Amino acid sequence: MHISFLLHNAYGIGGTIRTTYNLANTLAEQHDVEIVSVFRHREDPVFDHVPGVRVRHLVDLRPDTADAADPERLRPAEVFPHAEARFHQYNALTDRRIAEHLASVEADVVVGTRPGLNVHLARQTRRGPLRVGQEHLTLDTHSPQLRRTLRGVYPRLDALTTTTEADARSYERKMRLPGVRLQAVPNPVPAPAVEPSDGSGKWVVAAGRLAPVKRYDLLIRAFATVAAERPDWRLRIYGRGKQKDRLRALIEELGLYNHVYLMGAAHPIDPEWAKGSLAAVTSTMESFGMTIVEAMRLGVPVVATDCPHGPGEIISDGTDGRLVKVGDVKAIAGGLLDLINNDEQRQQMSHAALKNSARFDPARIAERYESLFADLGARTGGSAGGRMRGSLHRTRAALLGSAYAVRDAGHAALRKGRTS
Amino acid sequence: MTQPTADQLLETSQRTFQPKEDAIPAPRADCIADSAGGLTFDVLDGGGSGRAHLVLVRRTAEEDVVRLPLTPVAQGRLRAVLPSGVELAEGRWETHIRVGDAEPRRLTPGINDLRALVDRSPDPGAARIAVRIPYTTKHGNLSVRSWLRAPHAEAGDLTLGQDRLTVRGRLYGAALAQGAHMELSAGREGPVLRAEVTAEPSVPGGFSCTVEHGTLTEGAWRFRLRPAGEEGPRVRLSRLLDDVADKHDVFHYPGTDYPPSAPSLHVRPAYTASNDLTLTVTPVP
Repeated sequence: MHISFLLHNAYGIGGTIRTTYNLANTLAEQHDVEIVSVFRHREDPVFDHVPGVRVRHLVDLRPDTADAADPERLRPAEVFPHAEARFHQYNALTDRRIAEHLASVEADVVVGTRPGLNVHLARQTRRGPLRVGQEHLTLDTHSPQLRRTLRGVYPRLDALTTTTEADARSYERKMRLPGVRLQAVPNPVPAPAVEPSDGSGKWVVAAGRLAPVKRYDLLIRAFATVAAERPDWRLRIYGRGKQKDRLRALIEELGLYNHVYLMGAAHPIDPEWAKGSLAAVTSTMESFGMTIVEAMRLGVPVVATDCPHGPGEIISDGTDGRLVKVGDVKAIAGGLLDLINNDEQRQQMSHAALKNSARFDPARIAERYESLFADLGARTGGSAGGRMRGSLHRTRAALLGSAYAVRDAGHAALRKGRTS
Repeated sequence: MTQPTADQLLETSQRTFQPKEDAIPAPRADCIADSAGGLTFDVLDGGGSGRAHLVLVRRTAEEDVVRLPLTPVAQGRLRAVLPSGVELAEGRWETHIRVGDAEPRRLTPGINDLRALVDRSPDPGAARIAVRIPYTTKHGNLSVRSWLRAPHAEAGDLTLGQDRLTVRGRLYGAALAQGAHMELSAGREGPVLRAEVTAEPSVPGGFSCTVEHGTLTEGAWRFRLRPAGEEGPRVRLSRLLDDVADKHDVFHYPGTDYPPSAPSLHVRPAYTASNDLTLTVTPVP
């Protein structure tokens, strides 16, 4: 298959960008993959890509380029929706370049990676390629105006993917997208390049932007309870953000300066998780919950608030981590202390976390996308009946060489055969 | 809308794909620390003829250079080992790779696995404490900070009260004897104070030191442990035994106004750029 991703800026840093590279790199083992970046503002991408992935741009914003000075950039975008968070970065030039790209794209599947680009995809992709939109945030976080726009346009997509089942259900409930396949596919998280944690350190680790939604204030307050009972345990919070001064003031006010440390940003973060024996996530909302998977992939069990949308779909409560009540300092402290005070249970959870988080490996996530793409291809071209199923089997075998994935696809093709 | 059939999907998937020639990337080193103070560097073999070396350079008046052979290991990687026994003077060391007679190239950081350093607790009897912490410079390069102490006084938990500061610490390579005390000085020509030091028998080499705010005047006070009284060594009180190269921003402490009833001085502990403990005393505005 030839798969073409459309990304806001493949040269930047961020969750969606990292996820797209991880997925593209893995899909490139079997497929012809390109990442088309609407913008380019620097020489090289920050994230590595394998030689099989081509990265190119549509609008060059590096200094002294013709694009940077193009007067079309001064006229507002008409296709990119006004209600999208990044509307101000789009304009008549991006409208035109994206339209030209999608009108001529040489691909079997085009994948959009944010609502505004999914709108382009739905409206402007030439006849032929499958149109797959990805939702990396959640429906709840979109404004009513944006939801209205998407409701009108998304029916022209073949599929929409969300990062959680919970969000897929919201789309189903609130958006009514006839003929659009709604599918939750979690974000891929690669196997870490360092050994898992040995669980010996008396450290709790948290990592993320120091932003209000992460509620690190609750974590710090909870740690006051932890430190009172177990002064031998300490907390490290990695990340930077606007809340830093407030959080520091709270640490000092609570007299926790020997127990709670603001570590600043760390790249890569994997070696830092490996220093912990427990991780904590205390957010009020997580679109997915990437840090939970990252910690688990290092054998570090996570105590997380059971907030929308991701944690409950990643953590199996009591088996490979703990889910506690959102916004509840006592519950967070209790969850941490339970595992701090029970070495054996913590060790068991560490093993389970390592094992259970393997389902987020890019190879496994790529398989899910491959199944989706093959399934959609079969559905839309499925009039050939039996011949179709046979050739699909061959396709899957050729693409994956994995018995597991072939079996899945076979079932999917059979299901389709019966229903269509 | 016409969608590709499975046959078309099959056909396109079989198109072979030629990887493009990659530009030579900046050489990147992964670094693993051991609990004794040794470091292992792994660099991707970039080819070239001649023997490869990892070159550590300390910029001082006279350039200090340490060369370590890089030898091939699995998966096209080269490895250099800096054992704790190899002397590395205190300071900041740049890392370079040099292959044969080619120009040395600056190394950039890959993965620093420093977990073995997190709660380092060396043998209190060790004659000398070697600390090497790899870090990323302002310009994004890989450097190593080195400390070499014999004996060494490690600062631990601090407790800042209204009237006094208590510092817990551990002494390595010496023992507390009669007359042990902490010497505080503010500048070369400034006054010198004495603070009480008591042994904490539950911790090998453990001690605690209490500084009464009432004894302080304005200035940036440094701590020197005198384990054997006036006659013995003067041991700088620093925080070195973990994975944090620059303590100042991470080990951050509140200040307090003294005296509480009618404050005239603001007292705040902090770490200096070389990770020595300091107590800054400034007038209350």
